[in-house]
Amino acid sequence: MSRSYLFIPGNTPSMIQNLDVFESDAVIIDFEDSVTSYDKDSARILIKNFLKKYSYKDIDLYIRINSYDSLYFLEDVKATKDLDINGYVLPKASVKAIEELNKLSSKAIIPIIESPMALLEAKEIADQENVTALLLGAEDYTKELGINRTLLGTEILYARSFIAIVARAYNIDSIDTPYTNKEDEVGLKEDSLNAKNLGFTSKSSIHPNQVDIINQVFSPSKEEITEAKRIVKKALDNTKGAFSLDGKMIDLPIIEKAKNLLDKAKKYNM
Amino acid sequence: MEHEKRQIVKVINDIDELFTLVDISLNRNISFHHHLRNGDYVINYVLNKYLKEKVQGINLFPSAIFPSYTSILELIKNKQINNITTNYLNGPVAEYISNNGLEGKLTMQTHGGRARSIIEGKNKIDIAFIAAPYVNSYGDSVGYLGKNKCGSLGYSIPDSVHAKIKVLVTDNLVDLDIESPEIDGSNIDYILLVDEIGDRQGIVSGTTEVTKNPIGVKIAKNTSLLLHELGAIKHGFSFQSGAGGVSLRVTKDVRDIMIKENIKASFFSGGITKYHVDMLEEGLVEKLYDVQCFDLEAIESLSRNKMHIPISASRYANPTDESQIIKDLDIVILGATEIDYNFNVNVTTDSHQTLIGGSGGHSDTASESKICVIVSPLIKGRIPVIKERVTTITTLGKNIDCLVTERGIAINPLRKDLIKKLKNSKLKIVTIEELSRIAYKFTNIPQDIVKHDKIIGEVEDRTFEIIDNIYQK
Repeated sequence: MSRSYLFIPGNTPSMIQNLDVFESDAVIIDFEDSVTSYDKDSARILIKNFLKKYSYKDIDLYIRINSYDSLYFLEDVKATKDLDINGYVLPKASVKAIEELNKLSSKAIIPIIESPMALLEAKEIADQENVTALLLGAEDYTKELGINRTLLGTEILYARSFIAIVARAYNIDSIDTPYTNKEDEVGLKEDSLNAKNLGFTSKSSIHPNQVDIINQVFSPSKEEITEAKRIVKKALDNTKGAFSLDGKMIDLPIIEKAKNLLDKAKKYNM
Repeated sequence: MEHEKRQIVKVINDIDELFTLVDISLNRNISFHHHLRNGDYVINYVLNKYLKEKVQGINLFPSAIFPSYTSILELIKNKQINNITTNYLNGPVAEYISNNGLEGKLTMQTHGGRARSIIEGKNKIDIAFIAAPYVNSYGDSVGYLGKNKCGSLGYSIPDSVHAKIKVLVTDNLVDLDIESPEIDGSNIDYILLVDEIGDRQGIVSGTTEVTKNPIGVKIAKNTSLLLHELGAIKHGFSFQSGAGGVSLRVTKDVRDIMIKENIKASFFSGGITKYHVDMLEEGLVEKLYDVQCFDLEAIESLSRNKMHIPISASRYANPTDESQIIKDLDIVILGATEIDYNFNVNVTTDSHQTLIGGSGGHSDTASESKICVIVSPLIKGRIPVIKERVTTITTLGKNIDCLVTERGIAINPLRKDLIKKLKNSKLKIVTIEELSRIAYKFTNIPQDIVKHDKIIGEVEDRTFEIIDNIYQK
């Protein structure tokens, strides 16, 4: 139930040392795109030693390993499978890649949907063992489609909608693609709200300064919490399955949604 | 009409000519201000004459020493300088003194302490050489006009009144009245005309930017939340932050709170930047009391906005000045190179005992403000900012109220009132020892390498109390 997932390069000690400082609910230590080929081994060594010495109970930790079809996949998993992490973020996800990863580890998997084929396979991917969330990787996705990213994001509207729907249908989390302009706070907020309104449960980021806004957007508002408390209270007092509140019909799904929202508010100390 | 009664100040076209009127060998206590920062031509121009004349036993009183003041280094190496009394120094002069000391001693004063010393005759100055960007024939001057404008001339005002001989050095002598001059020409003895008093690029450093570093951003966020929880950001409050990236980020975050809660501040003081100017122009603060300008926007604001007021170092921070501005200061945000378990702060030397700065207004504002907040990363490079005892005390711990880091906030146990207010805070409030232990988890306890063999200088508080010694590396 994380709101924010922050990517941190796996080969940068100053960032690794501070991974719990940035208030991201989850941190994704990256072995893939932000680590050059000649630095892959040093990232593995750094993270292995670091996580053997330091543990984190208040944040979820993931490692983005290199893709199944890369030279580094096996080494990445071997070096990290005994570490105290929540799981792996798997780039260029496919059913086959997830099956192979499941043979090596029983940790949670967050596949990145970053190709048209992966999007078409999203339901099967979501249904795989240990898959706990889907992450949209819009940069590679649009690259494969041969189209440009825009700040408005209409070119990824279908992918976003589909992933949010699939994740909700399979009762797993959905993580929106990072907003790449790290200077634009207004754009980040708008982009996060768009994702939230499509049904995403969280958003990933590539810069620590983006975490605050993402957490704000994906946290329940004061009004939502007050409303949820009223619904849950009235539901407890009510013996019927459905009831009316302020002229609106409240039934079981709405009560469950209110309970989930209050759980989330409690988790984030709101 | 009134000006007709005033005396025209003698204009001199060459420094050699000045010393035909003034005996250089009898005038060896000399002062400068540092408003032209690294772009200053005046200090080297004047001191080259002292080098050439092989004047011995010089006592130097610059308000600060920057890397470009190379003539000072030559004079020290030639053993022509006896003592230096200043508020801040870095660069080659600082490094040389750290390694070798002086013939006499280095005295590190505060901005307010320097003004007080000059006014009360403790710092006896024979000649004040005052770089002045805009001067008229009566010797009136302002710093915010002219081709080499630098903004406020605050640090030079006590010198311009109390030195035995006062010399304005300018490249811009005008035949116009100057309304509300910063320097009153009736005190001035000579105007020394030069081609250029400085280099514009070096005068305005252009380094005043809000930090984007995520650790700095986190520290600033913690600071603004702390101030908000303490109820310190309220209508009519006063505030000072330096020009450092984190301090400016705090200013930005405080601004956001002010806008959200419709709060207007009474004044901001100290060194002024474009961010402070913006807030003045947005109507978020009533007045800026400016002792030095950090950027061009601040300089230009000073020349056009009556509510942006240049002040002298004495009015800024002299504890015996009845009109002292910072006695009404509510909040100050300051940095630290080191801080210790007693909340003593060092911004004078690094952990290797190299001189890298000095108090400036650090100790002054910490002493007077109602809430003094130190902002710093818990770990700098591989070194924890918290030590059992700082290498050099710049500001006494009794005047420091809060330390804000990215991993938590420590409140000085002396401030029981603040601790009480924060009793139910959701902020991470811990002891300074606990913060230190968090840092040690990453760094272990660094080996202490401080040497105490030879004293080369001392840190003098604004009360004139010597609060620490400075040792040779």
